[in-house]
Amino acid sequence: MFDTLSDRLGSALDGVRSSGNLTEDQVKKVTREIRLALLEADVNYGVVKKFVANVRERATGAEVSRALSPGQQVVKIVNEELASLMGGTASKLQFASRPPTVVMLAGLNGHGKTTTAGKLALFVRKNSGKNPFLVACDTYRPAAIDQLEQIGKEIGVPVYAEGTEPAPEDIAQRGIREARDGGYDFVIVDTAGRQVVDEPMMDEIKRVQSAVRPHSVLLVLDSATGQNAVDVAEAFREYADFDGMVLTKLDGDARGGAALSVVSVTERPIKFASEGEKMGEFDYFYPDRMAGRILGMGDVMTLIEKAEGQLDRQEAEAQSKKLMAGKFDFEDFLKQMQMIKKMGPLSSLLGMIPGLGKQLSGVNMDDLDNKALGRVEAMITSMTSQERRNPKLLQNPSRARRIARGSGTTPQDVQKLVKQFGQMQKMMRQMGGGGRASKRMPRMPFNMR
Amino acid sequence: MGRSWRSFFKRKKESEVTEPTVEAPERDEAAEEPEGLAPPVATREAEEAAAPEEESAVESAQVEEPVADGSVAEKPAEVEQARAEAAEQEESGGWFGRLRQGLRRSRESFVGQLNAAVAEFRDAGDEEFWERVEEILITSDVGVPTTARLVAELEQEALEKNVTSAKELRALMIEHATRMLSGPVELDVSRKPTVVLMVGVNGTGKTTNIGKLVHFLPGKVMLAAGDTFRAAAIEQLQRWGERTGAEVIARERGADSAAVAHDAVEAAKGGGADILLIDTAGRLHTKVNLMAELDKVKRVIGRQMPDAPHEVLLTVDATTGQNGLRQAKLFHEVAGVTGIILTKLDGTAKGGIALAIANEVGVPIKLISVGEQIGDLHPFDAREFAEALFGEL
Repeated sequence: MFDTLSDRLGSALDGVRSSGNLTEDQVKKVTREIRLALLEADVNYGVVKKFVANVRERATGAEVSRALSPGQQVVKIVNEELASLMGGTASKLQFASRPPTVVMLAGLNGHGKTTTAGKLALFVRKNSGKNPFLVACDTYRPAAIDQLEQIGKEIGVPVYAEGTEPAPEDIAQRGIREARDGGYDFVIVDTAGRQVVDEPMMDEIKRVQSAVRPHSVLLVLDSATGQNAVDVAEAFREYADFDGMVLTKLDGDARGGAALSVVSVTERPIKFASEGEKMGEFDYFYPDRMAGRILGMGDVMTLIEKAEGQLDRQEAEAQSKKLMAGKFDFEDFLKQMQMIKKMGPLSSLLGMIPGLGKQLSGVNMDDLDNKALGRVEAMITSMTSQERRNPKLLQNPSRARRIARGSGTTPQDVQKLVKQFGQMQKMMRQMGGGGRASKRMPRMPFNMR
Repeated sequence: MGRSWRSFFKRKKESEVTEPTVEAPERDEAAEEPEGLAPPVATREAEEAAAPEEESAVESAQVEEPVADGSVAEKPAEVEQARAEAAEQEESGGWFGRLRQGLRRSRESFVGQLNAAVAEFRDAGDEEFWERVEEILITSDVGVPTTARLVAELEQEALEKNVTSAKELRALMIEHATRMLSGPVELDVSRKPTVVLMVGVNGTGKTTNIGKLVHFLPGKVMLAAGDTFRAAAIEQLQRWGERTGAEVIARERGADSAAVAHDAVEAAKGGGADILLIDTAGRLHTKVNLMAELDKVKRVIGRQMPDAPHEVLLTVDATTGQNGLRQAKLFHEVAGVTGIILTKLDGTAKGGIALAIANEVGVPIKLISVGEQIGDLHPFDAREFAEALFGEL
């Protein structure tokens, strides 16, 4: 189910050479694939329909560039359309001219409001030099106030709470007053999670908003939300209009198509991207990066940043050169593996590389992943350095047997690894070996800038 | 209306409980890793073996009823009230009524759409009609592969049976969806103590649904605060313990979750608890380390009680889109999920992801949660869910 759009388009356009225009028939095939990819990414059905119509119009008769395959050409159009739909650039926070700036968080149960409150507080202190203050207005969920208080303590931000008895709008008002008196210039009001069909609860958030008059209302939305995200957003817009969204749990593998739907329908931008459970894992949202994620086209920028955080730059450059030249051996593979393991599961990393999916389809990635990685490591460390540099030697069965013994695996496992490695080398050579293939891959992740 | 709680719990008399011989209680460290994935299989086999006894299990449950009532009386008044509320609800249209009410807004448009489509239905060869059905299913989060399968099945049967009326067609749709959703829904609480492990992604409602479940479980229930990570998760569970009178086993925040589980199983065995509910921290299924931690919790439990945990329940938020499938798949791989709790069905989400999970992962939905009240947790009933999805007959 996680075929990338580029794979889908690739197979839909098999046999089409990179010249001439796309025919209507090809465009039809292609738009079907786009439609499916978007639906699988949880983009709202109605939004998909409109979007596909746009792409069809642009793609029909479009001049196919020499540098790109027809599939890539369409992907490019789709990507541009997506990015423009989501707003080209990151939308930053506005601060009130007369402090404190008041931000209210709203959203469904369990989408991450309270965690976001803490993260946002830390973010504005670190990035904008603000002095944040938290107000606990979730008077419903057991221990929600304790949660905010613990988070406040962890990041050193005061939390205003009055228990669960008073009305949330009163707590909010008093909290803001307290913040102003205390000289705090950024107040975050956390509210209870609610379902949009629950009218008393929706009325409540309306009351909180009109009592507090926040400068900004942020709708907190789980990136795994499905088709109903649009209904949810419209309901919140009706009761407590928001001016931006926080997309949460982006460290999962949800495509986040719901976010696109909401942006498209409400015309409210996504302002922040939240991933991970650590307080620092929070940033402005970059729409261009999200487009790739939704389409499963890879997220090169994120990968590069992840890699930069973990890898030694010069080492990586040297490795990438070797990789491209097809001179990559087991020695390098072991090094890469150890570095990559720090970055997360291999399959998810490779998934970030655009176009790699199809090229790797002959190689069973699951076999290379996680637990298997440990075994691969054991096999490589059981090789002599000569064998590591020259994997061909391993075609000798007695060597394979020895390695299997040394690593607690079977000779078949060793042979399989060697075979897979050979495939990978070949593939890398094709990609890096200049000519047509290299033009298809505009940016390689390990080719740092 | 609705599947009753009484038949939801699979109970057996002590004497009927046979220790599964498949699993050796003593495992040495070296043999442990490769065996890591064996327990769920063994447990499932044991369950399947026990399946024919189901009928008698229900009977014996009724025989045991007075005993269960006796222990219930020890619980605080709120529990009684919740039970009474639940009973009341069951009379007034059941959870199906709640579900219907909860889904009112979306259902209106959804069923309206379907009605309009079905009204225009001419014959089974009507391409446009099937496309419309596809659209309706996809907008309910059923997902592309499951939708395709369902529509293909329906189309074929409609052709074969020469279905021409809208009524017949709708019955057929419900039939197929029901078949897809059917599975063993009973919660096996026959062991003493029965150990139930709650797992799921962050914010899907693990702790809340433990709180709700306590009210319905027969016998003496004990809770374990295995979410030692999230701020105030322990306090949240303790609050539920106070409300329901269930003892809560906890350590400090940041403690090893497996250690809490260890303490809890010991306490449950020693303290005569009938059922132990173990909460765990929310984790994204993509986090390798956290999933490994879950595996460890499960192994620690299994070491202390060879066939435990007896149930592993995964909470899935009904508002989740296609990622719900990935969640179910990966949690199932690591923890051997025995059932799904579909939570937050009280919003605008139609919970179509349940269909996708049942079809593609094969884990049964056991419970649904349709509101924030304690009485809003219900045993899952495939037919009624399908009816809610496709409108009334």
